[in-house]
Amino acid sequence: MSESIVQYYPRSRTRAIKAFLGQFLGHGGARLGLLCLVFFVAVAAVPTFLVGPLQTAINATGDFLMPPSGEHLLGTDEVGRDVLNLVVHGARISLVIALLATVISLVVGTTIGMTAGYYGGRVDVWLMRLTDFFFVMPSFVLALVITPVVLEVMGRGGEILGFRPSLFVIIVVIGMTSWAFVARIVRSQTLSLKERTFIDRARVVGSSNSSIMVRHILPNLVPQIAANGALVVAGAIYVETSLSFLGLGDPLQPSWGTLLSLAQRAGAASAGAWWYLAAPGVCVLSVSLSFVLIGNALDDTFNPRRRVIP
Amino acid sequence: MPDTADILRLESLQVHFPIQRGLFDRVLGRPAGAVRAVDGIDLNIGRGEIVALVGESGSGKTTVGRVITKLAQPTGGRLLFEGRNMTAERGSSALRPYRHRVQMIFQDAYQALNPRHTVFDIVAEPLRSLRLVDNVTQLAERVSKALAAAGLNPAGDFFSRFPHELSGGQRQRVVIAGALAVKPELIIADEPVSMLDVSIRAQILQVLVDLRDKHNMALLFITHDLPLAWLIADRIAVLYLGKLVEIGSADEITFNPRHPYTVALRNATPQIGGNAGRAVLPALQGEVPSAARVPKGCRFHPRCPLTFDRCKKEEPPPIEVGPQHLSACWLAK
Amino acid sequence: MTNSSQDKAPLLDVNCLSVDYGLKGVSLRAIDRVSFALQAGEAVGLVGESGSGKTTTAMAIAGLLSPNARVSSGEVRYRGSRLPIDDDAAMRPHRWCETSVVFQGAMNALNPVHRIIKQIAEPCMLKLGMSRGEATARARELLGLVGIPTDRGSAYPHELSGGMRQRVMIAMALACRPSIVIGDEPTTALDVITQAQILKLLGELRSRLSLALILITHDLSVVAECCDRVMIMYAGRIVEDGTVAEIFAQPKHPYTRLLIESIPNPASGKKMIRPIPGDPPNLVNRPSGCAFHPRCPSAMGVCGTEVPSLDQFGRGRVACHLHRSSRGDKVAVHA
Repeated sequence: MSESIVQYYPRSRTRAIKAFLGQFLGHGGARLGLLCLVFFVAVAAVPTFLVGPLQTAINATGDFLMPPSGEHLLGTDEVGRDVLNLVVHGARISLVIALLATVISLVVGTTIGMTAGYYGGRVDVWLMRLTDFFFVMPSFVLALVITPVVLEVMGRGGEILGFRPSLFVIIVVIGMTSWAFVARIVRSQTLSLKERTFIDRARVVGSSNSSIMVRHILPNLVPQIAANGALVVAGAIYVETSLSFLGLGDPLQPSWGTLLSLAQRAGAASAGAWWYLAAPGVCVLSVSLSFVLIGNALDDTFNPRRRVIP
Repeated sequence: MPDTADILRLESLQVHFPIQRGLFDRVLGRPAGAVRAVDGIDLNIGRGEIVALVGESGSGKTTVGRVITKLAQPTGGRLLFEGRNMTAERGSSALRPYRHRVQMIFQDAYQALNPRHTVFDIVAEPLRSLRLVDNVTQLAERVSKALAAAGLNPAGDFFSRFPHELSGGQRQRVVIAGALAVKPELIIADEPVSMLDVSIRAQILQVLVDLRDKHNMALLFITHDLPLAWLIADRIAVLYLGKLVEIGSADEITFNPRHPYTVALRNATPQIGGNAGRAVLPALQGEVPSAARVPKGCRFHPRCPLTFDRCKKEEPPPIEVGPQHLSACWLAK
Repeated sequence: MTNSSQDKAPLLDVNCLSVDYGLKGVSLRAIDRVSFALQAGEAVGLVGESGSGKTTTAMAIAGLLSPNARVSSGEVRYRGSRLPIDDDAAMRPHRWCETSVVFQGAMNALNPVHRIIKQIAEPCMLKLGMSRGEATARARELLGLVGIPTDRGSAYPHELSGGMRQRVMIAMALACRPSIVIGDEPTTALDVITQAQILKLLGELRSRLSLALILITHDLSVVAECCDRVMIMYAGRIVEDGTVAEIFAQPKHPYTRLLIESIPNPASGKKMIRPIPGDPPNLVNRPSGCAFHPRCPSAMGVCGTEVPSLDQFGRGRVACHLHRSSRGDKVAVHA
């Protein structure tokens, strides 16, 4: 490629990215959400450095159900483990589960939605019927039914792709039950993109269907996918929390939901141990809220009426 | 004209779009209707020839262009390219040789360009998808040449620009460059200047005429503007409700129209400095009927000021009224 | 005012009008010191390319400027009194009753869920205080006036063709018997034959109701057909103003001349394409001096530095340095 291409290319991209960031960060909600998220990601990245290794009943450092103090900032649980330690380690599990589940959901939802919208006709009818099935099926109940069955079949021991089976199953189940929402949005957007003249042009200049989908439709779907992806993460965190709360999580890799479940079982509420319930609860709330804020700000930024980037 | 001289032939080309029947109509067993967008068109385009297809909205002129560029499938008739039947060819790989030789220019250049692609990517797209280049150096060279031929100089300055950073005229030049990049032999131009500012139109027309003069490219110029057609084309074909009503040399059609519709079109076109002999026929009343309800007999008869009994019953065939000049009117003789 | 002076006093007098648009904290000048007068019953074409300020000029006259627009200088006088064009509330009694507008996109301007007769009757009820019965009667009369069969009044907008919808728009504009009608590209979206019908209708209505007509268009040939006078705008300024006959026979400004030459004209018999080089300027990068000088074949040194003023030339006006010598040593005054 000639030099002018190489030189010129990034400059224009930088400009577009700058314009995007400028508008995105103009939203107060986006800034708050991003700040909160950065904090939690940082915490999840180096939990051992911040609060030491994950405590178990064996290496617990405190007394039973102690309220917050200088030594234990967030108090202790019913076996004397430091709640701050548990919550920080739980951040990693919760975020990993939610993000991976979202990736699965976006990949499946985008593929199905785009294929249905682009090809139309019979393909569209059958794929959308499948989507409708998952759409009307309460995904939480579905997850609740599938997870124990799969766990029963596979057993709780060993590891799958580096995850304990119960976590792996939760990720897949959340991913497979939340894509219908994405598929519907992607399909409707694809339907309108398909009618645009630049798709006609792509066909006239000889691009194949797959190339049109990947090079023309997909990039124009990114805003919708990104904005809705953030909302899917928020939902995934809730589902994960709920599933773990109901005891389907893994006690050896406690997520925030598992902690809530343990707290509930230990009678934290009746014993007045508010810190034990509040710490993971507030975490779940703030992370999902920040994803919702980011999602809304993205949606706003990419809104064709006000968008600064093409 | 011998067959070999024609680069493209349309033989009684027909495009009917079925109308979805409601449940009520189905129960009553009413027949399914059809929008007869294109209803039997014969047209040939010679090598290096500029043919203008003139018609109002709803005349089917855009559909003809879409059939030739294989964006729409005809329901009848044949599409012959250099004598080869292309009517049934489908699929991007099967059409690759055809796409290499037939390209299209669109009315709304802003809509025709992917807002997320750079000018380089846009112009390179046909070269990549038709596998016409072996390496990046060759690609950059051909993109530069195409941009320069479309009047974007220096070409390198435009490589990394996005469509929204260009003016309307520049955007249309990018679309033209994309079509030129593959060195086609026939270009379908669908109202290429109607969205542009008046002072830019002539620039774009110049580029198109240059293509024919320098590279012997044939051009099908689709427009609603009769004077514009006269300016650019060798021959003009006038389309009304999916059928050709008159075809002939640009001068013949403009100065000696033999179909009442062509006369009406000419009279309705606003002109600087008046229009000699304008009041020959009274102005047309009403508007083009829907292509879903094409009138019986001559399809122009409900609006024609010269209509008589035969027009209501029989559809007039194209009648030769001069050299290479056909008019589908019972009065043309 | 005495009767004799009233005959000569213009219906509308636009004096040195400038409008700026505020955009992301930057102020951009859309029209720059536009001055013209409109006599009662006169038809004037306002011709220019996109961004030339023709629409802004007309919208300012109608008091329909967008909220981010600001009148930075000048005034508009109607029958001798100053119009509060930047005050939306104060303009309300004037708008529609004295000056009304026919917009381009008839489909967008009509409410899809109401029958057209109701939509025509509405301004009569709101503006003229008519009862429902009176307003409906008036709406029927208006339908007849614009050539729509009265029984079509019960149709919804989507049931009408483009030409019919544009007729409805004209009927609505005429509802309150205005003396000025502004047509904002009223025929651009229409087919040639329908366009001819609408232009003919406007001409007939004009003479029957003695309307003054301001026709905004990019198409010089439309103006040639149905206006008395034409004003050519370029980059926010009027560059030439004169009668249709004069301008088309002998254009003074190079831009006007090139514009006329770039319109295909079979009557001339010359199949020639003569492009105007370059692109039209946008609001952001307006050339210095005469805005047309980068594209002008007869540009001189002074054109790049000095804005030519719009001065009387013959019976018309022209803003070009080429036509300055003949005006003696009168020097343009700049703000």
